[in-house]
Amino acid sequence: MTSPGWRMAKLVAVLAIIVWSLGPILIGVSTSLSTQREVNAIPTRWVPHHPTLQAYHDLLGGTSNQRAGGTVTEAGTFTRSIYNSAILSAVSTSFILIFATMAAYAVGRLRFKLGGAVLALLVGTMIVPIFVVVVSLFKVLAEPPVGPSLIDTKGGLVLVFIATLTPLATWLLYTQVREMPTEPEEAALIDGCSRWKAFVRIVVPQMSSGIAAVAAIMMLSVWGEFLIPLLLTQTMNAKPVTVQITEYVGKYTTNYPILAAAGVLALIPPALLALALNKRITGMLAGSS
Amino acid sequence: MTATGTITLESVTKHFPGGVVAVDDLSLEVQPGEFMVLVGPSGCGKTTALRMVAGLEPVTDGQIRINDRVVTKLPPRDRDIAMVFQNYALYAHMTVRNNMAFGLKMARMPKDEIRRRVDEAAVMLGLTELLNRKPRQLSGGQRQRVAMGRAIVREPSAFLMDEPLSNLDAKLRVEMRGEIIRVQRRIAAPTLYVTHDQTEAMTMGDRVAILRDGLLQQLGTPDQVYDHPVNAFVAGFIGSPSMNLLPAGLEADGDGCAITVGGARLAAPKLLEHRPSLRGYLGKPVTLGIRPEDFGTDGDGGEIEVTVSRLESLGSELVAYLAPAGMAADTLLTARLERRASLAEGGATRVNVDVDRLYFFDPESGAALT
Amino acid sequence: MPKPWNRRGGNRAARETQILGWLFVIPSLIAVAALVLYPMAHGWWQSMNSGGFLFGEKPGYVGLRNYRDVINDPVSREAMTHTLWYVLLAVSLELVLGILVAVTLHRVFRGRGFVLAVLILPWALPSVVSGVLWKRVFDPDNGLLNSLLMQLHIISQPHVWLAAGRGPIVYITLVHVWGVLPLVSLIFLAGLQSIPDEVYSASAVDGAGPWRQFRHITLPLLRPSMAIALTVGTLLAISIFDEIYVLNGTALNTRSILIQVYNTTFAQADFAHGTALAFLLAAITAVLGALYAIALRRSTV
Repeated sequence: MTSPGWRMAKLVAVLAIIVWSLGPILIGVSTSLSTQREVNAIPTRWVPHHPTLQAYHDLLGGTSNQRAGGTVTEAGTFTRSIYNSAILSAVSTSFILIFATMAAYAVGRLRFKLGGAVLALLVGTMIVPIFVVVVSLFKVLAEPPVGPSLIDTKGGLVLVFIATLTPLATWLLYTQVREMPTEPEEAALIDGCSRWKAFVRIVVPQMSSGIAAVAAIMMLSVWGEFLIPLLLTQTMNAKPVTVQITEYVGKYTTNYPILAAAGVLALIPPALLALALNKRITGMLAGSS
Repeated sequence: MTATGTITLESVTKHFPGGVVAVDDLSLEVQPGEFMVLVGPSGCGKTTALRMVAGLEPVTDGQIRINDRVVTKLPPRDRDIAMVFQNYALYAHMTVRNNMAFGLKMARMPKDEIRRRVDEAAVMLGLTELLNRKPRQLSGGQRQRVAMGRAIVREPSAFLMDEPLSNLDAKLRVEMRGEIIRVQRRIAAPTLYVTHDQTEAMTMGDRVAILRDGLLQQLGTPDQVYDHPVNAFVAGFIGSPSMNLLPAGLEADGDGCAITVGGARLAAPKLLEHRPSLRGYLGKPVTLGIRPEDFGTDGDGGEIEVTVSRLESLGSELVAYLAPAGMAADTLLTARLERRASLAEGGATRVNVDVDRLYFFDPESGAALT
Repeated sequence: MPKPWNRRGGNRAARETQILGWLFVIPSLIAVAALVLYPMAHGWWQSMNSGGFLFGEKPGYVGLRNYRDVINDPVSREAMTHTLWYVLLAVSLELVLGILVAVTLHRVFRGRGFVLAVLILPWALPSVVSGVLWKRVFDPDNGLLNSLLMQLHIISQPHVWLAAGRGPIVYITLVHVWGVLPLVSLIFLAGLQSIPDEVYSASAVDGAGPWRQFRHITLPLLRPSMAIALTVGTLLAISIFDEIYVLNGTALNTRSILIQVYNTTFAQADFAHGTALAFLLAAITAVLGALYAIALRRSTV
């Protein structure tokens, strides 16, 4: 496959992949640096002639209806939504990792009675799409058996994320645990560890690269959650950036620079994470299929 | 009454779900300071037996005692044992020093005692310069030594080793064999060593236990199992190249008897005196066993006509593959001969055997006939 | 092969294992039971009850009536049709493009790491953000697609991309595929890498050129990956929501089933019919999932 014809085709394909993947992002960046006028200019300007950070100012600092051409922003709102997303991702991921690591180990190593059933149950809930639950989830969170309503709270959202994402994390880690050699754990048992100590001191370090990859995937998943927070949040108490950003989509006209600025800011954290842990993530996604 | 430093298995049995009997009623006792080798082909149950002694595999039936303390249902950490695994099982995220110190830390030993033991073991195994490295920076032989170091520092009541040399290349294996013995003699704890390699068993063991399909075939010193194999399996398993096992017949010949093998007839006047149980086999088939080194070309003893099929010169000696006359095609005898034996591939010649050095086995049960 | 620890009774070590096992699994089970299974059961119950006075009816158990209503409701039916289109289009595109991308990135080449890093970006972004990024492309007044086509003189007037006709579904699918393709590509990449090189060498010796190799070796051996990609792609497409919401809101011409569920349940406050529709889709998904699982088992060589 090394004839010049193939090489050319491959080069074109690689370029296409790069353009296809980066294109929309670059368009977003370019749009965010334009003004409304430039966006509406004819012929289209792919790159603004006079790039400006005005859109970011407006987004973060607040605008009035007129200046922003139909979109209203309030100072600090967007920032608050990013903060919410960050907290939600970090806290949810931490809990998910703890639960999933333990569950994956229990099912994959300890092979205890009903382990197979537990795994089947968890995998089963993965296949059930979340929307089936979302409506009733509202009711359950609004009137929990103990305590106040969990609607519009970060805590409530975290609980939901834990419930919906732990099965996936468990599955991913389970495939890891299955492939790991058992001898270091056995050596630890002989060296004087109880099962628990062996788990904490030997098995978990053994799983560390898998855990890192799953952590990254979980953070990306929580950051990207939309439908659930859409239904379960109302105020800036817990509203994540995914929901906030849709408020900049006008019914009739849209202030594209502001919208694009919001999009760019919203994608920076996941993009950085994906780039940083790229190898681990692709390894895990590819490996578990 | 209370023996010190022993490993005892009493009627230990292991059934796996699905009906597989991995270990069947195994009983043996490793004496203080003894190096006992459990040997047998893959699947014979030796590793399962070892893991039961370690506490890594639950016992279906029977009892295991270490230093006369019943440990059958205890978790590994309560048995005061140390184990060396086939693929070393080192803790990848810890340095060599921490690998060795781990068990001692678990036992809450004081820090300076830990340091002392680790340093001592490192000296014994030549690991002193490697103490701060991580396992992935070490070669196979070095990792194996760390695994041993980790076992030694615990000063356990019993040592278990699961094919520790299998992952090493041939030359390293020979070197490490000596290391292991040397270390074991220093430590003087009873050791149970599992391998599939009969050479390791013969060269390292004080006593050897041969297993097959979960059943103990024979337990004895290397010399004992070599010179007096209790059945055809043991006879064929121990010794390299393996003993030749052929169908043969016994005929009465005056007061004595003669052995017919293929076209050859070997007179054996004293045989029935030396091996009385053979009387019951006159006129019946037996399995004849001839060790490769018991063949000669000097004409001294019973003679068998053969055609030389293949010769392998090993420098110091000759291994000859001989097709005996009158036997089923592709039956080959393996013979170890002196280098100067003048043989040519394809040529016909005669080899002789000392009738007193022949082995006889019941053709169905394989039991040795003495 | 690693040996599991088998549990047997009456053994302190084994008991320890059992207890630990349960302790480890309980947090996950509680979370899932409380916030997935229980709401599911509750929702199921709700779907079998009437909406109550708000809808001018007596509250109470109505069995499968809500389901029948939903199946017969023209708007819901259209949503189902749309969803079918979404799934068919998305999965076809994903399979074809996914294999192409995987083949392109299979062998190591200079800069491959960079391309892989760039590749997963669309997947890593929230799908809402994807919608936002692509929105300018399809804007009816001055979207980039319009301008590009006008500049190339393919059309003379801005086309209203998302308003009417079949078009919107295609474009929304495109945005969806943009975000899913990285995952599917990785699935195929893993599949490709599990094919040993010797198979290709042997076929080359037997006289097969690159096309033949692809058709007779690569494609058949990729069947398990195709099954996985098909399953994942279908699941994701069938629950498509975010992209539609951002690009076209709850407009009738692009509604997917989930958008319809959202509209019914929250805009119209009709929890009963909303959950019925949701369960209907869950059932369809479960059936599809089972079919795929069976197909996968059959196709494993």
